[in-house]
Amino acid sequence: MIRTVAGLTALTFAALAVPPVTAADEETGFTPFTGYAAASEFSVVPRQGELVFFPCSQCHEFMEPDATIRELMSPHEVEFKHGQGRFWCYACHKLDNREQLVAVNGEPVSFDDSHLVCGGCHGLRHKDWAFGAHGKRQTSWTEDRVIYNCTHCHDAHDPVIKPREPMAGPGVRTGLERVAPERHEKPKVWQRRDSQEQKHEQ
Amino acid sequence: MSNDSQKAGDKFDQARRGFLEKLGKAAAGAGAASALPAPAWGGASFLEAFGDMFNKQYKKMTRKEIDAALSRIRRRALRQYGVEIDCDDTPPQENVVFGYAINISTCQGYRDCVHACVKENNLGRDSQVEYIRVLEMDQGTRNLEEADHYYDPDTVPVEGKYYLPVQCMQCDDPPCVKACPVEATWMEPDGIVVIDYDWCIGCRYCMAACPYWARHFNWSQPKLPPEEINTKTHYLGNRPRPRGVVEKCHFCIQRTREGGQPACMEACPTGARVFGNLLDPDSEIRYILENKTVFRLKEDLGTEPKLWYYTD
Amino acid sequence: MQSLFRFLLDGAREALRGGSMYRLWCIGLLVVAAFGTLQYIEQLRHGLMVTGMSDQVSWGFYIANFAFLVGIAAAAVLLVIPAYAFHRSDVKEVVLLGEGMAVAAVTMAILFVIVDLGRPDRLWHMIPYIGRFNFPGSLLAWDVVVLNVYLLLNLCIPFYILYSRYRGHAPSTRAYFPFVVLAMFWAISIHAVTAFLFSANSGRPFWHTSLLAPRFIASAFASGPALIILTLQVLRRVTAYPVKQSVIDMLAVIMMIAMQINVFFVIAELFTDFYNEGAHAASIHYLFLGMHGFDALRNWIWIALLMNLVAMVILTVNPWRREMRLLNLACVLGFVGIWIEKGMGLVIPGYIPTPLGEIFEYFPTGTEFAIALAIWAIGLLMFTVMAKVAIAVETGRMRAPPPSHDLAVNPEG
Ligand code: SF4
Repeated sequence: MIRTVAGLTALTFAALAVPPVTAADEETGFTPFTGYAAASEFSVVPRQGELVFFPCSQCHEFMEPDATIRELMSPHEVEFKHGQGRFWCYACHKLDNREQLVAVNGEPVSFDDSHLVCGGCHGLRHKDWAFGAHGKRQTSWTEDRVIYNCTHCHDAHDPVIKPREPMAGPGVRTGLERVAPERHEKPKVWQRRDSQEQKHEQ
Repeated sequence: MSNDSQKAGDKFDQARRGFLEKLGKAAAGAGAASALPAPAWGGASFLEAFGDMFNKQYKKMTRKEIDAALSRIRRRALRQYGVEIDCDDTPPQENVVFGYAINISTCQGYRDCVHACVKENNLGRDSQVEYIRVLEMDQGTRNLEEADHYYDPDTVPVEGKYYLPVQCMQCDDPPCVKACPVEATWMEPDGIVVIDYDWCIGCRYCMAACPYWARHFNWSQPKLPPEEINTKTHYLGNRPRPRGVVEKCHFCIQRTREGGQPACMEACPTGARVFGNLLDPDSEIRYILENKTVFRLKEDLGTEPKLWYYTD
Repeated sequence: MQSLFRFLLDGAREALRGGSMYRLWCIGLLVVAAFGTLQYIEQLRHGLMVTGMSDQVSWGFYIANFAFLVGIAAAAVLLVIPAYAFHRSDVKEVVLLGEGMAVAAVTMAILFVIVDLGRPDRLWHMIPYIGRFNFPGSLLAWDVVVLNVYLLLNLCIPFYILYSRYRGHAPSTRAYFPFVVLAMFWAISIHAVTAFLFSANSGRPFWHTSLLAPRFIASAFASGPALIILTLQVLRRVTAYPVKQSVIDMLAVIMMIAMQINVFFVIAELFTDFYNEGAHAASIHYLFLGMHGFDALRNWIWIALLMNLVAMVILTVNPWRREMRLLNLACVLGFVGIWIEKGMGLVIPGYIPTPLGEIFEYFPTGTEFAIALAIWAIGLLMFTVMAKVAIAVETGRMRAPPPSHDLAVNPEG
């Protein structure tokens, strides 16, 4: 079962969740997210221990929570590529408790369960991840399923994976040499159509 | 096969078994002597070479003969590379048929899998055999002839391209197995198509038969730096290969039969590779096959590949 | 038994005897064979890396020659059928030579497969019961069976006939005729199976065509007679053996028809692949037009096609075919043309592009040429010796001495 600290709205996952068994939380009225029907059990590689500045209270204990949008200072000079400037910190971080994240429904979420924050918007991707079609499995194929969190690979502030140098390409067997082919880029259908139209005009 | 000829074959087997047992004892003696420095001619005793030569095909060996062959393999590695390797023949697990799915919308073309495979499977470093080829494809087409095998840009992924890793598809109806004249290659109960490197005659007919270019030949003795040898090996998998035989991807049989992931999956930083048991309805791979849009390469040839591609 | 021994001894003696030209010819062949053998030892020492083959093009010059030679072997049937089935006496006089050619050709074919093996030391794995023989699953296993049986048939029938003549008996038709009939069908089967060996591979669209087997047979029946016609003329000149012109005329007609059909098949193939050029056509496109700047085979295949066309025209025009010099030209052109078309022109493009679309060209190395030459030399030598002995027996030069006392007691000999 997912080690869920907090839940997401049943609404977000209306079609996907298995809420009937779990009763709504009396205090908050939220139905905690307990996973998808028929998804095999898994646990998530903890993340919190890897965070450089954790616990955040080290500093934030001495600061007043301030929700105004302003220029960020060291050590948090992040550029928000995520959402192309539509978000401010507290879309994901809990304003009144920096030790935690916050789900779309306002529920606090541990850094170890950050996928619950991501899944709030990226529902289908989250489902694929929970079933194993997205993301990476840590352990073997047969034992307990331990999978990596979204934020292991994606920088939450700039989630697109950066291009990287590829490793060396193939060689040919000892004693032979490869001659590179002359590549004529074959025009795509739409490119072909374009040049034909130009011909007509002429 | 008629009963008579079957019997004749059995008799021959018995005779040979007796002979080989004696041989084995002699070889064990030679092994005991190997504490002494190896002689100048490399340390392969005549009997040892003889035992290699008359190895039976793996599936026809008795337990005893397999053990003898395994220890011969270990001694050979020690002789050739000066490395103590561990070679076993872990059997397939019950109710397991392996399958693989690769997410081509996630694959970035890093080739990390290729190089992890080379290390894991003791592939000759000079011979340039690689079990995996990552093809750089033009967006908007799946024509393999337009693929670039040798792409080498500063960074990947390149705009307008996508990447298609190709390796042995472990076909369920493998044309290479049908082609082999001496049954040196076959499909194991867990679906892995394996090769007995000590039985293959190197005719390369299977290479002609394979529609995926998955089979590779040892044109020369593969060179392995001793310090880089992976000492955990399997008889049908990554044990050091001799010259003149064919080899190919075996889903890292030495790992996966013990529950591990194939090295390529472990190495893939994008998580594009999903490996698992096709017979387990709760497995990730089954979810993918039943819920995502999947395709297989050259499906029309009817070879029933057990490696699928899918997209997000 | 004794007479068999004497037959073999006499045969050996006959083979060693001969004029200076004969000796020079044999020694020349032996030298070529010896040089190639040395190269083969090099290949054994270093592995097949001494060849130009690669994972991309994993069969090369050796298998190309193999495919061609199986055709030559099969073509012997063109003498066998008229000789034994239609009882043409003129053909009967030379049929043994045809069978000798078949033996030499099959031996060469088998040698070409053996030198192509990565592990010739494990050849015994193919022997049923001792090894594991994947029959009937593997087409290569089929080929091993049909080639060896064909070799055996073509060894035994002439041997029986020659041995009978040697002892002054007339060979009994009842004894060998069933085998002759078998050999007729077998000849077709060896070549069909060899074609199936290629066309079985659905992953290689260039080979995967049902036209391949008919094409193989047609080209075999064109190249085979070409070689026989040339050989018979050589024999007519260097030995006193009378070869009737009618045999050559018959073979020329067969070659004409076969060449016409062969050219037609090539055209059919070209049309089907090029009219609507799909993935199936990639290899043929590479072969005839080149691809991405690679065109190693392009000139060769056009030359071969041209040779075949010229040969076909010469053969088709009646007066030209009867002009011996033109006929010989047609034979040489047809033989070389088909050797290119069916050898390198068939085997290599099957691998280009690879199933993954890579183009990696193949060039045979000197070692491959030397080994191939050696095999051809061995085949020629075999044929020379067999023809010499056969002619000696047929012309009555080699005969068992009149039966002595002890032999008369034991008629079996
Ligand atoms: S190369 Fe080896 S595995 Fe392949 S068909 Fe020949 S004997 Fe079989």
